[in-house]
Amino acid sequence: MSHLSRSPTDGYPTETSNLQAATESTLIDHIPDTDDTSAATLQKNAHIQFLIRNLVQGFPSKYTSQDASQPWLMFWTVQGFSVLGVALDPTNKQKIIDTVMAWQHPDGGFGGGPGQAAHLLPTYASVCTLAIVGRPGPGGGWDQINREKMYKYFMSLKQPDGSFLVTHHAEVDVRGIYCLIAVAYLLDLLTPELVEGTPSFIASCQTYEGGFSSASQPYYSLSLNPTTPAPTPTQPSVLDSPRPPLGEAHGGYTFCSLASWVMLQPLTPSSEPKPEINYKRLLRWLSNMQGSEVEIGGFKGRTNKLVDGCYSWWVGGSFGLLEAVGVGGHGDPQGLHDDGPASAQDTENWDDVDDSLFNRKALQEYILYAGQHPAGGLRDKPPKTPDAYHTLYCLAGLSSAQHRVLPSPTRRNVLLDAWESTRGMFVTLPRSRDPLDSLRKSVFADALSWSEEEGTSKFVGGNGNRLNGTHPLFNLTMTHTEAIMGHFYKQKVPTRKKAKAGST
Amino acid sequence: MPTIHTDPPTLYAERSDWADVTPQAQYENVNPLAPIFYTEEYKDATDYFRAIVKSGEMSERVLELTENIIRQNPAHYTAWQYRYKTLLTIKAPLDVELRLMDELAVKHLKTYQVWHHRRLLLTETRKPVPELAFIARSLKADEKNYHTWSYRQWLLAYFNDDELWDGELEFVERMLKGDIRNNSAWHHRFFIVFQSGTRKGDEDRDEVVRRELAYVKQSISQAPNNASAWNYLRGVLDHSHTPYSTLQLFVQLYTVPHSPGETAVEVIDLENPPPSKDSQLPCPAAIEFLADIYELEGGNGIPKATELWKSLANEHDTIRKKYWEYRIREALQSTGP
Ligand SMILES: [Zn+2]
Repeated sequence: MSHLSRSPTDGYPTETSNLQAATESTLIDHIPDTDDTSAATLQKNAHIQFLIRNLVQGFPSKYTSQDASQPWLMFWTVQGFSVLGVALDPTNKQKIIDTVMAWQHPDGGFGGGPGQAAHLLPTYASVCTLAIVGRPGPGGGWDQINREKMYKYFMSLKQPDGSFLVTHHAEVDVRGIYCLIAVAYLLDLLTPELVEGTPSFIASCQTYEGGFSSASQPYYSLSLNPTTPAPTPTQPSVLDSPRPPLGEAHGGYTFCSLASWVMLQPLTPSSEPKPEINYKRLLRWLSNMQGSEVEIGGFKGRTNKLVDGCYSWWVGGSFGLLEAVGVGGHGDPQGLHDDGPASAQDTENWDDVDDSLFNRKALQEYILYAGQHPAGGLRDKPPKTPDAYHTLYCLAGLSSAQHRVLPSPTRRNVLLDAWESTRGMFVTLPRSRDPLDSLRKSVFADALSWSEEEGTSKFVGGNGNRLNGTHPLFNLTMTHTEAIMGHFYKQKVPTRKKAKAGST
Repeated sequence: MPTIHTDPPTLYAERSDWADVTPQAQYENVNPLAPIFYTEEYKDATDYFRAIVKSGEMSERVLELTENIIRQNPAHYTAWQYRYKTLLTIKAPLDVELRLMDELAVKHLKTYQVWHHRRLLLTETRKPVPELAFIARSLKADEKNYHTWSYRQWLLAYFNDDELWDGELEFVERMLKGDIRNNSAWHHRFFIVFQSGTRKGDEDRDEVVRRELAYVKQSISQAPNNASAWNYLRGVLDHSHTPYSTLQLFVQLYTVPHSPGETAVEVIDLENPPPSKDSQLPCPAAIEFLADIYELEGGNGIPKATELWKSLANEHDTIRKKYWEYRIREALQSTGP
């Protein structure tokens, strides 16, 4: 593979370029010879065994560092199964539900383990786990989630600049905001009050590079705005500027910011001052995160850092989110598709079925060649060992590079037509005058309108590598998303046209 | 009689000073799936911690217990949270706590909690200046640590006093000199120069922009294929609404291969420092930049931009082929047929 050009160092080596060069040397060794087709096989059985071992036998003591992330260990494992097309038996499902419910805090939200304080991150992981294994009714988990207390808990974390603490006495960061909004979407908890000011906060985290940072620092004006009565007389107002991002543009924070931004669209004020993010700069940054051929097209998380399998999801998955707000689009201005869709095996015509803005083929290759550990499980990069986190995000990233899942206006209309006004949690007014009804309706229809574009899936290594599609906003399968949202919004979700490819 | 110093029993379960507490097991009536196999020491300490959280005790020994847990698992946010509340409640000396954190932060650079705890302490002690040297030391262990850099930016923005800011530009220049490709340092530079108000001596904003452009151009000339520097350049231009076209002469030097006889530069143009002798040209970031200039020009600029984008798509930056083709489509669409 010596024909691949290495990253230029301009005769000016530094620690960054030395590390980069060493990584490229390792990665090159993982690019298979052209006649070696087995290297492109997703070792599904080995990965399933890895997940089963974690679930049933548990985690070795080095995972003690994840003791406050037990819901994440569980979510990574069960969502890994979902993406791989493995359904759990009722006995194990029940055990998982019982485990998750031990993490719910009596004052609302879920903690990282029994007796731990509630925290936004494990709350997301717990609710998503319940979306996968839970069900309505006694012992099913869904109806044992205390939504009233969860909403109060969310509100107790809210800051004057529209952000949220991840837990009491802790930091503000956009991961927490993403987790909160995703949970509010799934459980029908979203209100204008909850996320007032949040779009502006997210917008303020965009850095000059185009990606997003972990948080921004608010500055407050000393005098109160006399035209808008503040909820409490002492509440200061946040200045639009300066409001500097803390930390550089980063793949994980960018996904969380962008997904939050997309979910907040029905609530983002259309009046001035309307918060804005610079899509063009964001797209450029996302695009620059894809490593070159010598890095097998994996994604990195920051400028001048190394490729890492988990960014396959955080950065690779962000392209679809950007398309959802109309950037990139899948228009066909030059009639490129006159020949009709190419067949899945026909790699010659790859480009003709690929409307996405990043190199889907190369990303799949990175995960297959470099992301898989020979003994099962997936990883950051060779020669690292696999872990539960990288196993899920490599698989989810691979899935998002295989399938194009985007909001479908047709599907959205079907959902809107089928909507039946129901009482949300906060309603005291008669249904017809419920101001939240239209918000809940559009949240529901927006979330479930995401659909796989027909004839656009592509599987490097053949159809045997097919993974289930996963919802770009939540990282749950469509089936699981529909089931839990249907339950909490009290809607019957209209059936979809059966997808032609079956799951494994 | 000399006393023989022995360590106290490691387990709380064996300690008489903890005999009044009934440890609380993690799971009751649940046989969890995906369990973690804890060490005996960790299980013991967290069993006692759960009992303490339940009883609400806040005392000196709670500080010892939470420190014990944090040393075994610095990501145990509940232990941190409880520790912080205890510190305040029993009015423990916070400068002592801060010295303990000096040790823990460097050991566990990658955990959110060590850094946030430090923030909480600083908002109480309000002595930010010594922190700068501490941060600089921590960065030696990991020059791109996200938390360390965010903490430094928070400190500067939150306390916002001149004494803190005085040496900041010098500091970041030192960091960039150490590694010109350290993007965290470039971001820090943008933060201090443009994003948190105007500093003493920086009141003339046009002059600041000129200084920054000169700095980043010099940096590009040393190592042209450095995405961090190009992003910084774009950042400065966007922030100051300076047209990209003002940089055309400079970037053009980087869009073509070295010419055979270029060693002797006759006239040194300080505005447009040339690429270093060992640099690898053409530089895709320069081609992209030039294409942006042409695109903004419109009209006849569009076909010129398209040519450059094609060269990126097919030759210089093939992994981003899809992106460059998208740029071509967009440019053609927005100008119309
Ligand atoms: Zn990773």
